Amino acid sequence: MALFAVFQTTYLLALLSLRTYESEASYGSFLEIPEVKLILVGDSLIQQPATECLRSVYTVRVLSEPLPLTPESLKVSVNSTCQCLHLQWTVHSLAYHQELKMVFQIQISRFKTSNVIWVENYSTTVKQNQVLHWSWESELPLECAAHFIRMRSVVDDSRIPESGFWSNWSSWEEADAQNLLGHDPLFVFPKDKLVEEGSNVTICYVSRIHQDNISCYLEGVQIHGEQLDRSVTAFELKNVSFIRKKGTNVFCKMEQGGVLGGIVLFVSKVLQEPKDFSCETQDLKTLTCTWDPGSDTGLTKQPSQSYTLFESFSGKRTLCKHRNWCNWQVAQDSQETYNFTLLAENYLRKRSVSILFNLTQRVHPMTPYNLFPKNVGATNATMTWKVHSIGNNSTLLCQLELLTEEKVIQQHNVSIKVNGEYLLSELEPDTEYVARVRCAYTKHFWKWSEFISQKFNTAEAAPSEAPDVWRNMKMVSGHPTVSLFWKPLSKVHANGKILFYNVTVENLDKPSRLEVLSIPAPARSTELTLDQCSYQIHVTAHNSVGPSPASVIVVSGDPGNEEVEKGRVNGTEDGFSVSWKPQSGDATGYVVEWCDGPQDLPCVLQWKNLGPNTTSTVISSGAFRPGVRYNFRIYGISTKRMAHLLEKKAGYLEELAPSDNPQVVMSNLTSHSFTLSWKDYSTESQPGFIQGYHVYLKPKAGEQCHQAFEKTVLPEDSVCCKYTIDNPEQKTFVVENLQPESVYEFFVTPYTSVGEGPLDAFTKVTTPDEYSHILIRIILPMVFCVLIVMIICYLKSQWLKEKCYPDIPDPYKSSVLSLIKSKENPHLTIMNVNDCVPDAIEVINKPEGSKIQFLGTRKSLTETEFTKPAYLYLLPTEKNYSGPGPCICFENFTYNQAASDFASCGHFPVTPQAPPPQLGPLTSPENLLKALEQNYMNSLGEIPAGEANLNYVSQLASPTSGDKDSLPTNPPEPALCSEYKMQMAIPLGLASAPPRENSSLSSTTLLGQGEHCS
Amino acid sequence: MKVLAAGVVPLLLVLHWKHGAGSPLPITPVNATCATRHPCHSNLMNQIKNQLAQLNSSAKALFILYYTAQGEPFPNNLDKLCSPNVTDFPPFHANGTEKARLVELYRIIAYLGASLGNITRDQKVLNPSAHSLHSKLNATADVMRGLLSNVLCRLCSKYHVAHVDVAYGPDTSGKDVFQKKKLGCQLLGKYKQVIAVVAQAF
Repeated sequence: MALFAVFQTTYLLALLSLRTYESEASYGSFLEIPEVKLILVGDSLIQQPATECLRSVYTVRVLSEPLPLTPESLKVSVNSTCQCLHLQWTVHSLAYHQELKMVFQIQISRFKTSNVIWVENYSTTVKQNQVLHWSWESELPLECAAHFIRMRSVVDDSRIPESGFWSNWSSWEEADAQNLLGHDPLFVFPKDKLVEEGSNVTICYVSRIHQDNISCYLEGVQIHGEQLDRSVTAFELKNVSFIRKKGTNVFCKMEQGGVLGGIVLFVSKVLQEPKDFSCETQDLKTLTCTWDPGSDTGLTKQPSQSYTLFESFSGKRTLCKHRNWCNWQVAQDSQETYNFTLLAENYLRKRSVSILFNLTQRVHPMTPYNLFPKNVGATNATMTWKVHSIGNNSTLLCQLELLTEEKVIQQHNVSIKVNGEYLLSELEPDTEYVARVRCAYTKHFWKWSEFISQKFNTAEAAPSEAPDVWRNMKMVSGHPTVSLFWKPLSKVHANGKILFYNVTVENLDKPSRLEVLSIPAPARSTELTLDQCSYQIHVTAHNSVGPSPASVIVVSGDPGNEEVEKGRVNGTEDGFSVSWKPQSGDATGYVVEWCDGPQDLPCVLQWKNLGPNTTSTVISSGAFRPGVRYNFRIYGISTKRMAHLLEKKAGYLEELAPSDNPQVVMSNLTSHSFTLSWKDYSTESQPGFIQGYHVYLKPKAGEQCHQAFEKTVLPEDSVCCKYTIDNPEQKTFVVENLQPESVYEFFVTPYTSVGEGPLDAFTKVTTPDEYSHILIRIILPMVFCVLIVMIICYLKSQWLKEKCYPDIPDPYKSSVLSLIKSKENPHLTIMNVNDCVPDAIEVINKPEGSKIQFLGTRKSLTETEFTKPAYLYLLPTEKNYSGPGPCICFENFTYNQAASDFASCGHFPVTPQAPPPQLGPLTSPENLLKALEQNYMNSLGEIPAGEANLNYVSQLASPTSGDKDSLPTNPPEPALCSEYKMQMAIPLGLASAPPRENSSLSSTTLLGQGEHCS
Repeated sequence: MKVLAAGVVPLLLVLHWKHGAGSPLPITPVNATCATRHPCHSNLMNQIKNQLAQLNSSAKALFILYYTAQGEPFPNNLDKLCSPNVTDFPPFHANGTEKARLVELYRIIAYLGASLGNITRDQKVLNPSAHSLHSKLNATADVMRGLLSNVLCRLCSKYHVAHVDVAYGPDTSGKDVFQKKKLGCQLLGKYKQVIAVVAQAF
């Protein structure tokens, strides 16, 4: 030890001398350090005892010159995955100390050594021959730039107080990843970069072809960067956000040359700290830890974050298979306290959260099982259940809840070990309940278990309340009839399913047998026909257990006179507020009755029972609608349970304006007034109380409204006069003071408190002039008389025709005769038909398709020849013509004058000739007439009646062109004594030509005295 | 046994190549008698033609499906990223003899099959949700396996060729993601181009 002390003193003196020397020579890179042997044993360096050092290994020397501690063997490597530079070096100069605390200053330059971009001091404890490591992550991808690194060191050890001077710099070491690139013209870095959301990323490209027109894009958007070198440009993406799990293509392309390079950038969501981390056990054997994992940070480049559970007391860990829960087997060595650390990690980050707890304070029992009801009655039931045991003889606190209609109505706590049982009471009959049970660890309450639920129904009981009954009295076929109505019992009072209702009728006036009616549910009414007696009616509801209390009502067969006060009731949002005067006497209650629907629909009778001290109530119903009139009847119930009508009220929940207008009838129209009436309009069925009517009248232009009317403007901006009738029962109105022969328009609409009816079309009316009625009094009888005359004329047309214009005029009655007689020849006489021998009869047939047989020629005519007249040759014609003969003349006004004029150019003598044998009998007038008649009748046999005309034709009548075939072709020779004047039959159509004055003469063949047909 | 060891086993290896096979099979000249496990189909050439036609008809759709799934800039820069300039792709001479054409077809299908396996493997990682692409790649690989078997059967039965030296494309497992996408696109572009020529030649 003494020797060691000497050595130490010598050493310190040497240091002091060194210091002095250094200050003089400014030489600072050497340190005088005693040599200490370090022996490598396994991985540890063991310092040899000093005594041993002195004895056997090294000799202590007093250093007269400093020992250089410059970092040596500096090597730099590039890791592209993390974009890191790895440095390793040694300090060989360490010799005498086992450990020495040193500081290494590291400089990093980019592109060239003078461009220092990073300086960092790295402090560490150095041992002899130890290889030191240091890493530096570059923001700029290392492939894009050459980096140069150097370092120097300084001893920073308190044991060597005067050692704070730097060593020389090491030589620059170059790290150039560009040498590793291939020959592609364009590279983009970093490859497959994985960063967290919100971080900054630097992207660069290296171009072998020095072009300026290289553009880079991220998600289709061009990004702009900074040119670092001739061939290198860097882009800094700040605060990058997560885009998609499979990464984002970032690419650069040369506009010329078709070169494109790219990388895929992976942006991960930030790993979150697990939330709500907790552990619990159900059986003290397994712990289940759960947590909220937050966002999934998984990418195609990076798997989702993993979770590891570490327990510090036991030192065990387990890798969780699930993202949000993990199981941990409880140790058998009855460890009670656990300190869990949940570690979440991905490639970029680690997060952890810890909890410390006692196992018995984290017991969450399993859900109970086998929950059943037993001994279920109408008002009680016993529930039984079981629980999973926890440890040995552990007690559980169980909570039994009873619910109906999803509401908890009872709650009971029961302490059990394995089997639980509880009697539930105060239940309602025939009700569905839900019982549910959950349990907790009694020793240390942590959490309730999950519920187990079970439904059950209690048994039925007899109905607990009498049904609410009401009646409606009416006369049917002269018999008083009562309609009984009752409301179904509520579920609370029915205590089961109502099967039927019993209605018992008891005559109060005379003893008789009770009449019982059983009406099956769900009927809610029945009808009874009674007599004039009073009856007491009992109504009971029955379920499977028994009847309800009876509801009693008394009715009388005599409806009586029920004229009562009528009033109105106002509707509000809550309903109708109905009030009435209290009944003087002993009323046991009141009933308000109404119909839910509109008046025009069948009444759904509703009623409300009220106490004896009540004089008002609010009637509300979901069926009430605005614009519908509701009628309410208030009855008082006497002590004898008989109802008496007290009041009637009507009202609207909300009055509306009339929806339609009355059908107005106009009457009593005069030149100065007319009457309007709408008596069929019902005020009862309107959507509001009708307060009156508005009569609108549009006067003729320029006319002012009369005094009773007021001027008003209609919605279409037309001006008219309005008269207000404020009595709803007044349904007639006389519009007076009108102008004759003027057009007026009127329109009647009712109004309620809300407004008037819709604006319909106006009805026009025109006032007559003042004398028109007189004219009517004259013209009408005249028209009537004319009609009578026309009817008579029509009925007596045949008689008139005969009298006035016969087909064959009577020559004796002809006025022509008298004229001729007076002017020319006073000896003119009328030729007697019997004296004439007809020579031919022309038969005119109109019907088509029929044939006519000619007597003379026997030639048949086709239908195309019907326009040709057929001739009956009564006298010899050209073939048998033998000279002048007797001639026949007819006065026939139908003969055409033109034809006769044409014939007047020549008179042809009649050549006597023997008639053909078959015509022989015709020569006498009688035979002729007979023949004519017969021929005529034969013709009728072939020709429809009414369509054949028989005309007489003169013997010398000139045939029409169509008749040339059948008429004589030889020109007639002049007659010797002929006085014929040609007569020609004319078609009916031509006969309508107006006769000229001379034609009447020429068409009439008159025989003068001494002249006669021979 | 020597036949099995020297001839059939390499054939079985060829027929059952797996995804990711990156290095060419050892070229072992075999002079042994050709043998197949099962008799070849009677109408083998028709089968081959039909399979080629089937591949040809679906190649374009596969190509489109692929580059669409890679996202921008692939669909709009097909000339730069998917041009069919695949080095060391086996040659094919349409005017050669049937035997020569079958041998070349065998090499092409073996090359394509291995590359398709790499692409399928990569796309399952890079585009895990592109199910239609995965399905199409698998279907194409299935047809290629059948085609390879038929070609070999034909070579063996008619020309007594028991072994064909084959080469495979580069393994993409060490490439970066963008490069994987690009190589896959180039390969499928080349496949679309070549399969049309081959199908026409048969």
